[in-house]
Amino acid sequence: MSSGSPDPFIRTGRTSGRRWVVLGLIVVFFICAWALGLTPKGLLPPDSTHWERTGKFFAAALHPATDYQDPNVPDDADPIWVKGFKGLLLTLRFAFGAMSIAVPTALFLGFFGSSAWWPEPCGRGLRLFLQTVFTICRFWMSLARSIHELIWALLFLSAMGVSPLAGMMALALPFSGTLGKVFSELIDEEARDAASALKAIGHGPVQTFLVGIFPRALPNLITYSFYRFECALRSSAVLGFVGIETIGLYIEFSYGESYYREVWTYLYLLIALIVLVDFWGAAIRKRLHPTTEAWQPRP
Amino acid sequence: MATTTLTDRYQRVVELRRNRTKSVFLRFSGFVVLGAIVWAWTSGGPLLGRLSAERRWTNFKNFVGELVPAPVDKSGNWGDAIPWAWELFTDKGLEALLITFGIASAAIILSALFVSPWLPLSSRKLANSNPMGIWGGRRNQFSQTVWRVVGPVVRFSFVLARSVPEYLIAFLLLSLLGLQVWPLVLALAIHNFGILGRLWGEVVENADVEATEQSIAAGGGRFSAYLSRIFPANFNRFLIYFFYRWETCMKDATVLGMLGLLTLGKLIMLEKGFHWDRVFFYILLGASVILIGDLFSTFLRRRLR
Repeated sequence: MSSGSPDPFIRTGRTSGRRWVVLGLIVVFFICAWALGLTPKGLLPPDSTHWERTGKFFAAALHPATDYQDPNVPDDADPIWVKGFKGLLLTLRFAFGAMSIAVPTALFLGFFGSSAWWPEPCGRGLRLFLQTVFTICRFWMSLARSIHELIWALLFLSAMGVSPLAGMMALALPFSGTLGKVFSELIDEEARDAASALKAIGHGPVQTFLVGIFPRALPNLITYSFYRFECALRSSAVLGFVGIETIGLYIEFSYGESYYREVWTYLYLLIALIVLVDFWGAAIRKRLHPTTEAWQPRP
Repeated sequence: MATTTLTDRYQRVVELRRNRTKSVFLRFSGFVVLGAIVWAWTSGGPLLGRLSAERRWTNFKNFVGELVPAPVDKSGNWGDAIPWAWELFTDKGLEALLITFGIASAAIILSALFVSPWLPLSSRKLANSNPMGIWGGRRNQFSQTVWRVVGPVVRFSFVLARSVPEYLIAFLLLSLLGLQVWPLVLALAIHNFGILGRLWGEVVENADVEATEQSIAAGGGRFSAYLSRIFPANFNRFLIYFFYRWETCMKDATVLGMLGLLTLGKLIMLEKGFHWDRVFFYILLGASVILIGDLFSTFLRRRLR
């Protein structure tokens, strides 16, 4: 592309930047590894106790627990797989709850963070107002997503106490930032022919948006929301580590007590759920975007 | 055209609507999602926990009060916050930021290097006994069977790698490998191996087929076609996703410190409950770095597009 020759297959004297990028990245890796003290030796467990623990942990992968390893579990407790399934349901509950807050918020933010529906011609005063709202929305979305959901969780739990709503809000805030940003970009990138035609025959900005832009962008919005739902599910599992009751909490507890076989039972259940949702998402994507070219994954 | 009446047009609209493509699966999925949302909000205990409303409100007020920097709280002068913030920054903040940067960069580069060779094997077009559907001579039964399995297996390994949250991998590896930096780097690298595999895999899948077909038809192999045609032509697209994941790694590396290594997350865990003002400072510090990284990577992605 950057070569001066009109024929891309004839090499010119200028070397493409690609090899320098790749070499540069490899050099950056070695600098980081040197600065952090990463040595190949560090990849092995440091002493015999760690070796033993590693061996036990991976040996347990072949024999996930079918019954509790914890001797203190009361007799009338649910079997472990029922407990695991309950953990998965709680994980799903947080993900669904969070997404049901995040998606409407993101639609609102995405609408005001996009410019495709702005009236044309646009008076100076109105333009200034829209530009201000646009900038505020964009900034808020950046801020919300630049703080990790676990840190949001820490703040919410400390401010509101441990409650399901605190967990959902902690997930919903950064997710609405990411979703809103991508929504606004999807809306802005959609072809503007229908919108221009509608504006030209006198439709208002909201009508233009609802009729000319939104229905076209909808398949992309749905696909992206579903992808974020997969992420929410993983984050929801991790929320267990800060004390919200999801399957992550069970994993942390069993691991802390060295019940490795229980850990693997929960891990397998979690992986199965996430893989299942991944396939569900792929099936939805295939139906919403019949040609692969119509769907480009989005950062 | 002049003869079409309003009724005709209306009927045409009705007809178009009737013949639109419908998918039972999509409708079913929609109902499942709606049902699940209702269930998420109605099942289980009280949404706000068991504390009374007044109690929650006092807790909240106390919490917000504690976010004010300690010297400001004492003197009431916001000018005192600057030396306080500078001290926190130079004391531990900067070091934590540099370590976070190192972990994120090492991890994402490592996973990029590891995922690259698997991409042609994950492509539906290349990972065949006859790549790109071009006749390349008779294949025996064994080779056909092997190639039928390779693609799905590689793609499934990407799914597996990205299905386990990085925080969980780091938590498990830290106790196996001891308290050092490798577990965090590995955790991020493993998770991103799966994510990059999917994102880059779709780039390979959507790449222009013509040059690849030429290469295969001239007797080239899968890897030579990938290295000489697909990789250079789509290099910028690869970089776009690379920088996006690097940005995410920065965010995750900050938080992985909560498990006990010196990134901002550890500082946050140490001070939490005692010095909320410092916690808040570290959070804002991390957020501002990520905002800068976000702007930088958005800028790069625009340039590359």
